[in-house]
Amino acid sequence: MVSASEWVQPSTRTDLIENLVSGVDRYNPNNVGILEDYLYHQIRTEEYDCLANLAILKLYQFNPDLYNPDVVINILIKALTSPFPDFNLCISLLDERAANVNPDEPDPLPALLPLLTTLHNLLQQCRFPAFWQLYRSDKSESLRDNYTVECVGFEDAVRRVVVRAVTGAFKRIGSERLSTYLNLDVEDLGEYVQKLGWTVGDAGVISLPSNPDNQPVSTVVQENIQLHQLTKIITHAQVA
Amino acid sequence: MAQRWESDLDEDLQDVDLNLAIGTYGQNGIYEDAQPRIDEATLLAVQQQMAQQAAFSVVPDVVKRFIVHFHQAVLDNNLAEITVAYESGWNKLTEKYYQKTEWPEAEVIAPLVNDDQIFLILYRELYYRHVYSRLQPDIDDRFHSYENSCELFNYLLNSDGPVALQLPEQWLWDIIDEFIYQFQSFCVWRTKVKSKTAEELQLLADAGQVWSSYSVLNVLYSLIQKSKIHENIAAVQEGKSAEEIAEIVGEYGVRPLYRMLGYFSIIGLLRVHSLLGDFTLALKVMEGVELNQKSPFTRVTACHVTTYYYVGFCYIMLRRYTDAIRTFVSILNFILRMRQYHTRSYQYDQINKTADRMYALYAICNALSPSRLDDNISNIVKERYGEQFAKMSKGEEGIPAFEELFIHACPKFINANPPPYEDPDLLATYIEEPPVEPAQRHLGLFLSEVRAQAPVPTLRSFLKLYTSLDASKLANFLDADEEEMVQQLMVMKQASRSVSRVEGEKSLLDGQTIPTSDLDFVIDENMVHIAESTVGRRYAGWFIRNTEHAQRVYDTVKNAPLPPKSGSASTQQHHQQQQQGSAPPKSAGQKVAWGGVKVN
Repeated sequence: MVSASEWVQPSTRTDLIENLVSGVDRYNPNNVGILEDYLYHQIRTEEYDCLANLAILKLYQFNPDLYNPDVVINILIKALTSPFPDFNLCISLLDERAANVNPDEPDPLPALLPLLTTLHNLLQQCRFPAFWQLYRSDKSESLRDNYTVECVGFEDAVRRVVVRAVTGAFKRIGSERLSTYLNLDVEDLGEYVQKLGWTVGDAGVISLPSNPDNQPVSTVVQENIQLHQLTKIITHAQVA
Repeated sequence: MAQRWESDLDEDLQDVDLNLAIGTYGQNGIYEDAQPRIDEATLLAVQQQMAQQAAFSVVPDVVKRFIVHFHQAVLDNNLAEITVAYESGWNKLTEKYYQKTEWPEAEVIAPLVNDDQIFLILYRELYYRHVYSRLQPDIDDRFHSYENSCELFNYLLNSDGPVALQLPEQWLWDIIDEFIYQFQSFCVWRTKVKSKTAEELQLLADAGQVWSSYSVLNVLYSLIQKSKIHENIAAVQEGKSAEEIAEIVGEYGVRPLYRMLGYFSIIGLLRVHSLLGDFTLALKVMEGVELNQKSPFTRVTACHVTTYYYVGFCYIMLRRYTDAIRTFVSILNFILRMRQYHTRSYQYDQINKTADRMYALYAICNALSPSRLDDNISNIVKERYGEQFAKMSKGEEGIPAFEELFIHACPKFINANPPPYEDPDLLATYIEEPPVEPAQRHLGLFLSEVRAQAPVPTLRSFLKLYTSLDASKLANFLDADEEEMVQQLMVMKQASRSVSRVEGEKSLLDGQTIPTSDLDFVIDENMVHIAESTVGRRYAGWFIRNTEHAQRVYDTVKNAPLPPKSGSASTQQHHQQQQQGSAPPKSAGQKVAWGGVKVN
């Protein structure tokens, strides 16, 4: 069972950040720098804290002057690989803003947002080969060169999305299929699945260990009513 | 920390100068013919006084008496009398005299209440609420209602110590509810730039903090902090004694007025954050508030219903359909049970409308995550939204039905910031390319979730027919590429798991991943193995319904008059009346609560 508590409050979150996320200080525009630094810390490490990032977007929502497109893009890249609907939760805080007023510093977000959204949809629809194809294509060059290259472990984070989907749905999977999902060639694939504790069998078929999601069982659900749950109605009948 | 927010609030409030405000956009221009020799201000004052006297003379006597009486009840802190005046008197007189016009202005009735400023603030609160609900508020009404709210909250928060005023809980809820409604209404109104007059444009350009998101949040947070409501809730949950709690919450928190305003402000935050599209924060601010029918906020039905509506909606936007369904089922059953007591309440219409929206949201959730949680509610949904529900259960082609129900049932979303009224150039661009409306933006995001799992219903209908099946064969049935179909199966698998709140978890955001579908499967290389869970026959509901039915029959028979005997007709009738008085006939609907009947 995956718990949401790590999402609500990651163990890596410091007290300082916790105070900002949970307290009324989250509305103070002067604190945006602390939260932005924390985001860049997440970019450099493989940590992730959705609620802290949403707090940045909240400050941007209330104080449009603070808006920093690079920060927004990095937040979205982090949200892309979350098992929760973080990506849409972030977008939902991006209010419509007036067209860019400063031509010297063009806002990269309007150009990248459709691409990020498409990538997100592909992951959500488990269209993993299509995701990699688009991500490796020229269309994504600027995203790769300016942003994801800085985001430590981005591709591995995408692979973890794949692993989550495959773990639940498969008992055994062909290595060819899996290699297109993970975008790994056969050699790397063997090493990768070994780390996961999956075994490569004959003819390159990979077996996954059992987990609650990949062993469906038929059950008959029976209602379970205890007498004390019916006390009200029985008492009523007696009184009447 | 608290102090800074309050001082911000102070600054906001200092900007509000009622006299100045009226001077600026009140009666200007009406008396242009004034003779230049007479001091304009004096003339204005005299004329205003005359106008007020004239207005006073046309106020019906019964209304005057009502106001005097109402004022006395407030002075005496007589909650029973205030409640009668507030819930009954005001509404009756509105029906009689003010269906299509404003109540007399506060200045007009001021002599009746010895110019009691506090009462006049409360009176204006009702006055503007009436304007918003029955008439069309103009820009002056919108600005002045904001100023009046600020004066009210300023009085409550920044007097020397807690104020002695007492108000019924219903009214306290209505104050917070109306404050947020007017904020939301203003935000929607200000986005319609095209229809604004030159004067309105100017006023909006100078509007400053009027109805700003920060000012609204400041009020709510200040009330929460002043009342120490979070500390209060925590202390109650820890089972502290009344004395200990009084110690913890301090001089403000012990007063019912502040305690309830604090409580309602938490619900207010839930609502404001939902309107602004911050669904995580909306649920986060509810931390500590227990969602059960014993919670203090359930004493005001409108608050109870509002809370569940927004919590349920936020769960939908967090893709937690199971939690949303559970929330809606709980409150919809409550509304059904309460129906017989509430038909006469003036809020009945509003509660009914919200309930209808929740039935629509329930239909949406059930299409995305089929469950059989409550047959009773499901049947009502089928009656009201059966057509849409059938379409939504068909995947891609059901998208318009999702769209229709979402727009019908979603909150009235707002933008956090006004259009650029202070910058004419930007405003021109704004008019030329109006941004997407907030509701449409949220609809788009929601539909992207729906689209992602669009293949599920079709797959589901095929899988239901088999226990195992070759993947290529299934792809053939679906007329799809095998690889594509395998990817859809993974989507289906993920859609059948959801984070859901487990009993005992404090925060509304907490939860564990649980399976939510009765149909499960696994792919073994190229074979799909399917397992279906079925629900055994349910006896409890049948038993309860029939017991109730038998009870009703029995009661009817018992209450039926005996065949008349000659000579005793009058006593007979008398007896019958008495019986009816003591044992009212049972009406339809579930009288006996189900208790905690659970289906595992």
